[in-house]
Amino acid sequence: MKTPRLSPQTLLLLERFLSRPAAWRYGYELSRETGLKSGTLYPILMRLAEHSLLETKWVTTEDGVPPRHTYRLTPKGMELARATFVRSRSSRTTRQPALAGGSA
Amino acid sequence: MTSQTYLRSVAASLLRLALKVAPQDSFGWGQAVLGELDYVEGDWPALAWAFGGAVVLTKHAMLSLILPGRKRPAINSGPELFAKEGPMRKTTLAAIGACAAASLLFFLAPVFRQAFQASLAQWHGLANFTRFGDRRPSPALEALARQAEQNHDAEGLAFVAMRYPKESESARLADEAVRLDPKLTWVYAVVAVEHPMLPQVEIERLIPKLEQFDPENALPHFIFAEAIDIDQVLHAKVPKEASDESPAWKNAMASAFQSAKLDDYLDRFKALDRRVLLRYRFDDLCQALVSSGDWYLLPSYSAWDSYRYADLVLQSGETLEARGDLIDARDKYLAVARFSQMMASGGVHLTNRKVNVPQEAYKRLQAFSEKDGVQEQARFYAFLAAQTVRADENDRLARQNRFPVSSDVPRWDANLVKTSGVAIFLCAGILLICLVHVIRRRQFLAPNSTGPGRITAGFGIGGAVGLLLSSAALYATYRPYAEIFQRYLHTGDESQLPLLSSFLGHSGILLGFEGFRAGDVRVYFWFAVTALCVLALLVAVIPFFGKLLRPRASI
Repeated sequence: MKTPRLSPQTLLLLERFLSRPAAWRYGYELSRETGLKSGTLYPILMRLAEHSLLETKWVTTEDGVPPRHTYRLTPKGMELARATFVRSRSSRTTRQPALAGGSA
Repeated sequence: MTSQTYLRSVAASLLRLALKVAPQDSFGWGQAVLGELDYVEGDWPALAWAFGGAVVLTKHAMLSLILPGRKRPAINSGPELFAKEGPMRKTTLAAIGACAAASLLFFLAPVFRQAFQASLAQWHGLANFTRFGDRRPSPALEALARQAEQNHDAEGLAFVAMRYPKESESARLADEAVRLDPKLTWVYAVVAVEHPMLPQVEIERLIPKLEQFDPENALPHFIFAEAIDIDQVLHAKVPKEASDESPAWKNAMASAFQSAKLDDYLDRFKALDRRVLLRYRFDDLCQALVSSGDWYLLPSYSAWDSYRYADLVLQSGETLEARGDLIDARDKYLAVARFSQMMASGGVHLTNRKVNVPQEAYKRLQAFSEKDGVQEQARFYAFLAAQTVRADENDRLARQNRFPVSSDVPRWDANLVKTSGVAIFLCAGILLICLVHVIRRRQFLAPNSTGPGRITAGFGIGGAVGLLLSSAALYATYRPYAEIFQRYLHTGDESQLPLLSSFLGHSGILLGFEGFRAGDVRVYFWFAVTALCVLALLVAVIPFFGKLLRPRASI
């Protein structure tokens, strides 16, 4: 499966999505939670959507107010995110003893 | 309106502006950023939010121009939500059109047209297989000749006559110019100098007119002496010694010896050129600069070959001196000294590697004065003898410093101009092929096709951008040289003309063939073209033969 490059910022975003996997999230909300600026956040969202890891939806709130775009992970996106975090956790746990041994 | 709401409206405007240039597939994402803007807390953060989104959209717009087929899944903005449409290909086509139009606009500038001509100069020599160089006048010169004849403009006709490559036509135009304005008789001298292969009969017709026009000038006699010399070379009857020369040659040189001045008419030539160039807005720089720099050469007899006759006179003086005819010998030495001074006033020094004729003459005169006991006169001749050596050395240094040898700028500029010229043709060719491809595709292959394919659009934008950039490079590189020329025309400032001459000289050499002889360049170039054609033919033909030779499968 072709996946987007998982930069630290992408990982941060995926982590936020995984914290509430079923919820639809707004762009500004994600920006506040991750600290990512719009110029960084939206290209990541675009790439995730391009690889079908993210689904998007327009939400019309009230008349006269522009609709908002919302996002959540697709099942494929969730699978990738979880696999990525499992891998990173396991690599951390295997590295730590070695480092500890090396310093001893 | 408070300053805070003002900032927010600026942010919204910025995003809306970015949405106008956004490609179709990014438009929905732009709307998403805009949709969030109302929820961003604080006006400055809102502006930062909008700015970030605008940067992303602009980046995508530029990427879509460079890679027109590049697509990302567009999010559905939906007609009920937003009303932005317009396929990205239209943006690409608009960009191609804009670049091509901007490139064509360059041609409206006279400087650019001159630059374009200069970039084409490298190709002129390739089709020229004649023995004595290109015998065809440039179209600009032809046009000027027609215009001058229609206007009965003597100076215009003289301008063309002094440049026309065909001897007979050059002489005819000069006749016409002199008929209209007899003050222009000096033009015959330039025509004769520029056309050393003029028939002897024609020279014999022109020389008396020149002598009558300017009886004090040595130039007509030099021209005549040179014509005799050329005739001897053509008939393979070149005398080994000056003493073996024909009486006609000796008479011509004796007349030159008796002349009071040497005027090459270069000042009149330049002044006439500047007037005509301004009058007709003539923009062929190679032709325009004929009277400048070192392009206009004196006949060899006025430049350096006169030392042969001067040496002959000096030797006859020595013979007379040996016989004891001191008065006649002194006259001979004085004649040489006077002649060398006259030539030096015209910037010519009668020396070659072996002999410094004036120095020898002054030494003889010094010896005579010492014998006569006139020490002051002897010292004066000694001073003049030393001065000829210094003058010779100064002349040699002046010739060395004539061109700014250390400057490679004209050569680099000429190479850039030539490269830009090639790039313009290449990019225009690519654009043309794309256009033909699109038209063919619409007419025959895919009548319902809405626009160019991905590859065609890519090549199209590449060609258009290349065309614009190479046009801009050509203009920017050439402009300083056009300014040098304009300065020369309007103020007569010749200080920078060597740079311009050097630039034009380098422009005439085919790119990549610097250092080759003109004849070799033609041979190598056409050999390369032929080899490429044969290669292309082989590439086209081999698959056909391959199909014929392949055994057919039996069923």
